[in-house]
Amino acid sequence: MSGLLIRHQFRAMGCPCSIQLEHPDARLADAAIAAAIGQVERLDRKYSHYRDDSLLADWCASAGSGRVFELDAESAALFDLAALLHAQSGGLFDITAGALTRLWDRPQQTLPEPTEIDAARACIGWQHLSWQRPLLRLALAGLRLDLGGLVKEYAADRAAQACIELGIAAGVVELGGDVRVMGPHLDGSPWRIGIRHPRAAGTLARIDVREGGLATSGDYERALIVDGRRYSHIVDPRSGWPIQSYASVSVRAASCLAAGAAATLAMLLGVQAGTGYLRELGLPHLTVDLDGVVGGEL
Amino acid sequence: MAERSSALLLQLLAATAALVGPAAASAQSDAASGTSVSYRHGDYDEDRLEPAPLDGSDRRYRVRTDQFQLNTELGDSDQLSVGLVHEAMSGSSPWFSFPDADGDALQVMSGATIRDTRHEVSAAWSRDRGDAGSIGASASYSAEDDYHAAALGLDWQRPLSAAIDLGLGASFSHDIIDPTDAAEFDRIDRAIKNTWSAFGSLTFVLDRSSQLQAGMQLTHANGYLSDPYKRYYAGDRILSDARPDQRTQGALLLRWRRAFVEQDGALHLDYRLAGDSWGVRSHTVEASWYQSLPHAFRIVPGLRWYSQGAASFYAPFSAAGTVGTYHSSDYRLAANGSVSASIDVRQRLGAWEWVIGIERLRAHDALGFGGEPDPGRVSYTQIQAGFDYHFE
Repeated sequence: MSGLLIRHQFRAMGCPCSIQLEHPDARLADAAIAAAIGQVERLDRKYSHYRDDSLLADWCASAGSGRVFELDAESAALFDLAALLHAQSGGLFDITAGALTRLWDRPQQTLPEPTEIDAARACIGWQHLSWQRPLLRLALAGLRLDLGGLVKEYAADRAAQACIELGIAAGVVELGGDVRVMGPHLDGSPWRIGIRHPRAAGTLARIDVREGGLATSGDYERALIVDGRRYSHIVDPRSGWPIQSYASVSVRAASCLAAGAAATLAMLLGVQAGTGYLRELGLPHLTVDLDGVVGGEL
Repeated sequence: MAERSSALLLQLLAATAALVGPAAASAQSDAASGTSVSYRHGDYDEDRLEPAPLDGSDRRYRVRTDQFQLNTELGDSDQLSVGLVHEAMSGSSPWFSFPDADGDALQVMSGATIRDTRHEVSAAWSRDRGDAGSIGASASYSAEDDYHAAALGLDWQRPLSAAIDLGLGASFSHDIIDPTDAAEFDRIDRAIKNTWSAFGSLTFVLDRSSQLQAGMQLTHANGYLSDPYKRYYAGDRILSDARPDQRTQGALLLRWRRAFVEQDGALHLDYRLAGDSWGVRSHTVEASWYQSLPHAFRIVPGLRWYSQGAASFYAPFSAAGTVGTYHSSDYRLAANGSVSASIDVRQRLGAWEWVIGIERLRAHDALGFGGEPDPGRVSYTQIQAGFDYHFE
């Protein structure tokens, strides 16, 4: 018997999101969707750098005060992952660069002043973070954390897991282009996932996914365009300026979190080092450079 | 290079696994069905003959079936199932027809009640090859006092696109017929029948709630295809049943499935058109509704219509005594038709699922075409009950 496809669209974490499930029991599917959205909202409340009532906001507010937080297991694991990515990227992936990302994530289509950039650069640096599991202290006043590049991807995994725990085997969670597939359609066929073209309208590729994560990092998201020049939201913490890298990087991995981390790192490393990193990692990937040249294979 | 690459990936996967677990494994283990056992008891009971037979018992066949099946997984992608069947049959069956004073056929039934048991053992293996589809193989052996059959089957399925699946299969059966009381009733001592079958199907996903399968099956049998227990009345002679030693059958199949979200149910509509080299044509239309209900109940009412035209060499008898090379008065080769209604109820209770079903089939002479109905036509009631148990 073919199952019933239930599709639910919503907005969360500033992005259009969707959940698609296939299950003969519509009530169970509805319950799974509610549980999945619950996970996304929980993580948004906990780690959003847009909200001032998040746990992350509490950490940031304590910067320079000497206050020490004992992190819960989930937050501690996120910090361990962030520390690993910081090391793997030679310091380019930096969750302490919140002041910079906030500066470049601007509603107005103007460049920040050089003095603003310098001020923000003065407030970043992993060395100002004291992280000795499970104890966290933000040593420098003005230090702002940004878990962008991890939280949305992690939320896609947790939302999918919430459905799996309720007995759903077939379904897809998509949070703003980051995808986690729980399992194939009930008839065994894979889900067809479209990857957005970073420049043209429409899709760059459609790939069949039975299971696992697919994440895309692109310079089109929240990009700033000034005098015809595009500035992505991904900022090099060393220079304080948005990176000139790929137009987009998509990676497949067992989880959306692993895929998203790899895509973000490749984006930060730039075309040459990023391609080497993706190749060494050995995960299926698809890249588009600024000239529109497509590389890799998903 | 390789060492470093794996180290990079392993570091990343280890750090993410602390948050999301070994992701692929969790989804796989949930989709996996593990091991299950099932048991079914069936009772198939044919109606008494009406009008009463000219001679012999009016108590027709009754078959009680006990069936066990074990399904288990071998590794990540292989499934194995093993089945055992025990059947106990009793009753009498139509022997031949005899004309009354008006020339209408009267049934003569086999005199003694037949008692026989059948045992079958079967095994099936399948492998899910992910995007490359699936393959499977099966084998079975069935034994009765007077009939032995060994069969082998292969099937193969693969997606042609996200919306179309291709299925192909083939099977072969080698049967040995060893009739009882051969000398006393002028039956053959021993005979062999071989059957080859091939089928192909395309399944189209029409949209997310409906799919259509179109299939074709070709079957060829040769060897002894007559029924050693049936006779044929020709004037003053009672002859053995005599059918061609070759039979080629073709069938076209359409299956449509549609899920209804609001009703939490699904409609299945099937149509089968079949024809063979003996001149038998048939149409089968079947409709069933799968309804999910609270407390993990599922109820499936169904209706089936069947309509058949007679084989070219079928006749209830030859009053004048003239016979051709082939002649048979087997009611199954006559024009006949039936309507059947069924209902299945099942409920899942944790690891257990119980199931009970009943089917009532009634012969309807008006549904047959291309000939007279045979007095041996059968109506029956079938009840089946059992359970499944899923090991965690």
